Amino acid sequence: MELTRRELLKTSAAAATATAVGITIPATALAKSKEAEAGMQWDKGVCRFCGTGCGIMIGTSEGRIVATKGDPDAPVNRGLNCIKGYFNGKILYGKDRLTQPLMRMKGDKFDKNGKFKPVSWEVAFDEMARQFKKTYQEMGPTGIGVFGSGQYTIPEGYTMAKLMKAGFRSNNIDPNARHCMASAVVGFIQTFGIDEPSGNYDDIEHTDTVVTWGANMAECHPILWARVSDRRLSNDNVKLVNLTTCSNQTSDIADSEIVFKPGTDLAIQNYILRELIKKDAVNHDFVKKHCVFSTGPYDIGYGMRGTDKYAFDAEKDIQAKELKVTLDKDEAIAQRRKEGEVVEQKNTKKPVKHWMITFEEFKRGVEPYTLDFVAELSKGDAAEDIEAYKAKLKGLVDLYADPERKVTSFWTMGFNQHYRGSWVNEQIYAIHLLLGKQAQPGNGAFSLTGQPSACGTAREVGTFAHRLPADLVVFNPKHREFSAKLWKVPAKTLNPKPGSHITKIMRDLEDGHIKWAWVQVNNPFQATANANHWLKAARKEENFLVVSDPYPTISAKVADLILPTAMIFEKWGLYGNAERRTQAWRQQVAPPGEAMGDVWQGLEFAKRFKLKEVWGEQKIPGLKAKGYDDGKLPDVMAEAQKMGYSPEDTLYDVLFANKENLKVKWPDATVSRGHGNHIAEKLGDGWFPEKALFDEYRQFGVGHQHDLAKFDVYYGDKVRGLKWPVVNGKETEWRFNEKYDSYCAKGSGFDFYGKALKKLPGGDLDKVTSKEKTSLAGKAKIFFRPYAAPPEQPDNNYDLWFSTGRVLEHWHTGTMTRRVPELHRAVPTAVLFMNPEDAEKRGLQRNDLAWIESRRGKIKILVETQGRNRPPKGYTFAAFFDKGVFVNKICLDVTCPMSKEEDFKKAAIKVYKA
Amino acid sequence: MNISGILVVVAPDKIDSTVETLNSLDGIDVHHIEQSSGRIIITQEAESIHDEIDGLKRVRALPGIVLAEMSYHSFEEDTENVTGIPEELEHETLDTVNAPID
Repeated sequence: MELTRRELLKTSAAAATATAVGITIPATALAKSKEAEAGMQWDKGVCRFCGTGCGIMIGTSEGRIVATKGDPDAPVNRGLNCIKGYFNGKILYGKDRLTQPLMRMKGDKFDKNGKFKPVSWEVAFDEMARQFKKTYQEMGPTGIGVFGSGQYTIPEGYTMAKLMKAGFRSNNIDPNARHCMASAVVGFIQTFGIDEPSGNYDDIEHTDTVVTWGANMAECHPILWARVSDRRLSNDNVKLVNLTTCSNQTSDIADSEIVFKPGTDLAIQNYILRELIKKDAVNHDFVKKHCVFSTGPYDIGYGMRGTDKYAFDAEKDIQAKELKVTLDKDEAIAQRRKEGEVVEQKNTKKPVKHWMITFEEFKRGVEPYTLDFVAELSKGDAAEDIEAYKAKLKGLVDLYADPERKVTSFWTMGFNQHYRGSWVNEQIYAIHLLLGKQAQPGNGAFSLTGQPSACGTAREVGTFAHRLPADLVVFNPKHREFSAKLWKVPAKTLNPKPGSHITKIMRDLEDGHIKWAWVQVNNPFQATANANHWLKAARKEENFLVVSDPYPTISAKVADLILPTAMIFEKWGLYGNAERRTQAWRQQVAPPGEAMGDVWQGLEFAKRFKLKEVWGEQKIPGLKAKGYDDGKLPDVMAEAQKMGYSPEDTLYDVLFANKENLKVKWPDATVSRGHGNHIAEKLGDGWFPEKALFDEYRQFGVGHQHDLAKFDVYYGDKVRGLKWPVVNGKETEWRFNEKYDSYCAKGSGFDFYGKALKKLPGGDLDKVTSKEKTSLAGKAKIFFRPYAAPPEQPDNNYDLWFSTGRVLEHWHTGTMTRRVPELHRAVPTAVLFMNPEDAEKRGLQRNDLAWIESRRGKIKILVETQGRNRPPKGYTFAAFFDKGVFVNKICLDVTCPMSKEEDFKKAAIKVYKA
Repeated sequence: MNISGILVVVAPDKIDSTVETLNSLDGIDVHHIEQSSGRIIITQEAESIHDEIDGLKRVRALPGIVLAEMSYHSFEEDTENVTGIPEELEHETLDTVNAPID
């Protein structure tokens, strides 16, 4: 009997799945599968949703993606693929895909108040450059800004970072990844002196204890969760603890669920540290050889503006806490002070400073965190018995302390999006370091990420306001010198003053410090907390906003110019995932209409600037740096001419299509394999930008602990990404561990060789007492950080907690996943998860329409009292994917003062019937 | 129309009863069984991804399931394409000016 096409596809799907997971199937089934796939080409790719970095195979036929499958050879996902994985193919084909540049026009001219009309790329870039030059001449490099992304491919992020920093001499480029993992970065740099995890995902199979802190892995990292549950369910000795503020799916297979009050994770960590010392579970040998103790100031504010000039009236009471805080009862105990004491926030400008303390001082710091104190403070579910809760906390300590047990701790946004996000990151390392359970298979604190290249691009390329590639920073003269040399630009081209972080770019647009901004690969006008301010700022007469986007997002709607952008498999690219794995893919299909990749957009824009327009003297308000006149960058044209450049050269000629890069030819015999490259083809000058730029970029890290392999290596048929540092062709599984990491000093056992912040003065818990700096080369820091209360908490007026995050079927602002119509119906609209008793008290039932109101705005939403998120009384949650339910109008733009990452998890709201 | 290939893992002694249950579910076909490891390969046919998610949840909720995760997805029957200016941009309804607090 002849099979129908559908039956054939099913046979093929089954055969592919069986093959992917290593099940032998009959030859006849394989043959049918081949028949179904006749005419289809398969090539390796990487999922562009979430930071896990699953390998997927992309099936194309006649210029269209028709199937995707989990890559059986990918060590991350081993042939599996979560529901999000499928969107990679489908997402290219949404009905409202943008296919031509759109500009606000009246008649044939740009007009801020005009309507969007299609224009040519030429007209679009002309207006964009005209507006840029107007602002640049008026305000200099600080008047412009770029909203970058953790979804940039590596070449995209590198193009923009180089264009901004070496070309325009502006550090105002900052990614949405700031909102996602900046606190994790600070935790890494402060603790280890180098960014990114020591371990990798294989810790899951090596460990026998998994502790999740503020990470709903079951929904947000389902493939890793499949590995965790596999490990848990196949071995009775394996234990799983979920610490969360809201009972969720991750608790379903947990041995213990600890529901805590928002912000009190800091207190729980200190309780654990105290108990580990009391029990003498400390690994003294490890600590003595490889660690020091440290602390810093507590009066660091909450990352808000220091003025209430721009605040709505209702916001002013919270904003005032940026200047002064009255300690509550718990903070007083936790910080060894008096209740009601008013503490002026004196260290808001230098929140990251820290000094060494003794172990004795450290013990004194954690001493107040007794079980009684911490249990009372942190218990998140009023209905739970306090003794039962205490038993769980004790049980958690026992698991960490057990010398026979390996422990892996995971976290995501619960830690990172936190008014003390850097502190909670530091404290989890403190626990692991004190136990000597770090940087070994199965033992370690591991920061999961939310975006596909938050690590690979945002962090490693350094598309942040203060960073350069490979952990270099703009304020370090040696780092600038090294970078300028590699970039072949005059040394003083680079601007030593860090630029505006992403929330500050928004604030700068509102208060007139930035008047031209470009949004790439993200949707900041939906994704930034306290959105009402920023929407207004976008539409201010004097601001010009460019948004590169494949779809009409909220950001696109408030733009002046929209540039249609190619999506993932319409271009060449590389991403770096959360375990330091760099992975690559080829262009699979051509972008629709006139849509073009972000690399091309950056390069094309660079063609419109001559050196003489940007490399003359530039004002930088507030700049103070050795070798620079106050407030300005010098004219570097004379030096540029000595280097052989002409004032008439464009930034494209000098930074990108230079002699070396033009030698890297497209098409490339080694890797192109018949695939197109719409960017190289459109540029038409014969080079292969993605390859040339990647191989240029990798030079930053080679020999400096950040070694990446060459571009071609990642395209090898057998390669499924490599975990850096890649030394002598070999990836590094566990960093800082001599057994696995060639950068460790011989005989060290462990070597925390990161170089940043490794010379410290000494002091006590409160202050520096000896200014003399000691080197801590090779050592990691164990911090003491006290509990501090959230700046906004429920009160009589706004009487509920509100937190936002992801759900499985959607991702971030939903720009992409909401294009898939069927999927859209799966979660028709964001709902407010609340406790049934809280709903009843307000006369609300499931599916009722309600208002949520905070100090910053109000929105309508459907009430959900059942389902997979089960909040304790007093706590509510809604996801932020739905632009019809604009939750960021509600959220508070408090940030961790050290990382500048916003706290999306702790707003106070009231809810009433609509 | 979506067709997915799904890996299901159960305790080896539950394999027969699970296969029987799976076969009774709408849209699901059991294709391959590996007795020793408790692994079963099924396909699921669903009108929409919504139905696919629900379908997968339905499988996960069966007794004794250790794992049920997708691996393969085909959407070759989708044919919609992109034309013109998106409607959303022609009707500007976004409220960007009004003060947020009544």
